[in-house]
Amino acid sequence: MPSIRLHPTSSSPSKTDTTSYPITNPLPQLLQTPSGLALLELQATINVPSTEHNEYDTTPTPQSPNGASYETPIGKLIFPDYSVLNPDDTKWMKRAYLYVGRYQRMTGEVKKLLKPIALVQKRASSSTEIEDLEVVEIIRYKIFFQESTGTCE
Amino acid sequence: MATQDARGILFTHTQHQQGFRLLELPPDLEALLTSKDAPVLELKSPSSALAQAVVDPSALEYVNLCTPTQTYRIRQVQSSNSLHILRPSPGNISQADIKVVAEEDEDSGALKIPDDAVSSIAKCGSTLELHVPPGGFSAVPFLEKSLQLYDPRSGDDEGDIMMDESSDSPVDKGPAEVRRLRDLVCADIPVCATQCEQGWVEICAFIDGKHELTCWRPSARICLNVWKRMMEGAVLQGIDLEKQFLVGDLWKSVLDDDDTPEPFPRACLEAVVRKLCTADERPALADELKWASFEKVECTRWVGETYLAAMAPTASSAIGRSDFLRAWKDCLPESWRGDAALSKLQDGSYRSPDPTTIFFVEPSQRQQSSKAATAGSAPAAKAKPTRNWHELLKNSKRN
Repeated sequence: MPSIRLHPTSSSPSKTDTTSYPITNPLPQLLQTPSGLALLELQATINVPSTEHNEYDTTPTPQSPNGASYETPIGKLIFPDYSVLNPDDTKWMKRAYLYVGRYQRMTGEVKKLLKPIALVQKRASSSTEIEDLEVVEIIRYKIFFQESTGTCE
Repeated sequence: MATQDARGILFTHTQHQQGFRLLELPPDLEALLTSKDAPVLELKSPSSALAQAVVDPSALEYVNLCTPTQTYRIRQVQSSNSLHILRPSPGNISQADIKVVAEEDEDSGALKIPDDAVSSIAKCGSTLELHVPPGGFSAVPFLEKSLQLYDPRSGDDEGDIMMDESSDSPVDKGPAEVRRLRDLVCADIPVCATQCEQGWVEICAFIDGKHELTCWRPSARICLNVWKRMMEGAVLQGIDLEKQFLVGDLWKSVLDDDDTPEPFPRACLEAVVRKLCTADERPALADELKWASFEKVECTRWVGETYLAAMAPTASSAIGRSDFLRAWKDCLPESWRGDAALSKLQDGSYRSPDPTTIFFVEPSQRQQSSKAATAGSAPAAKAKPTRNWHELLKNSKRN
């Protein structure tokens, strides 16, 4: 069986991105990576309406006008103690909120991974039969939300 | 403390999800991947024929991740949590949808929409962990199944080989061809290049570039024969095997003066010399072995084990211990004879059915018995064996 090649992260930005990468990354600096990718672990499942059966939205707009992929809003991420003025202070990591919809709130934190995680993806440029893989990013922190859900306000 | 904008970051789910795999990195692999000249890694599985021939008791199907010098077994570990990969979002959200998450401002009635967004572009239900089993990885069992046994027999005691027709018309295939063929063999062996090379040297595998291009592994009998011829030749030509000698001189010393055919291919002699030469003098497989010198202890051990493997490979063919020790000594240079002792042989390399006899134990048998001993104590926590990499990625893409 032929081996599959796994390329290290290339210095040029990942070609797999079909949408243009926005200039600003809203996440705290610690969670920012060169590719912009970050890891969020949820002790829960988010059920997202599928295109075929969409009970919230009847308008058939699978693609937005500019051709980019359609997004479904889930909620909001808040790092209440994070300050852009003081990014080196890591106390903010202890608290993070994920609002699901308008009223469900999950409490979580930002954790350093025991072992970093490589995000591996197929290499888009490979035209040969055997697809090459590529480490598109190495992630060292994750945003982690546990089960405990509370209703706010 | 100044706090973040209370509006937070809009969190969305991108409908067109991407396929990702999460690979946990041990420290040495992280260092390698983040180094300036990070090498391309390989995901290797054995060919189906090899997978059947070399059974791994821990996994039916597996994929190994290979750096140039290190091999890891990939194990897929399912997670009960969902792992989302986020990316700053271009914010392609319809205004109808946004009401699900945004509140209206009490005064103006306008929606309080966060300025920025991140979107989940992939969801993973598992991570890939890397492991190195206690015994490490070896290419030897795979090479033993991949390479043809070189064990030509002829009538006389010398064990000469029919190299008849081709000696007049040598077609030297050249080192590039030889290397290409070796790479082809190693492509099917699920360990890293360094371990492939170590295994190749360990079993004295060779490719005879002068004849039909085939990868061979010489039998113990042939190895012993090569050693004996080298010994005789060295004595005749006054070559001191413990000091640096030219491999070309040693080769000439084993050839008869007359036109009798070569006793074995030169590549076979070179493979044995490469195996026996002191480790720090050993060039990479791709490089020519020009100079060599032998290390007494290692050499003595190898000759003893090779003799035993050739003459008493199984319990039923066990030979007398004293006969073995005498024959072993006879295979060694005069000054080494005193070093032949059972204690010099590797642990587990021989067994004695009774106090007077001895036979050889194949390395694969040794590993099994030591594995069986450790298997009892090891926890039986086995994750689902990783399946074919192609399938792994294919499946993850559809989620």
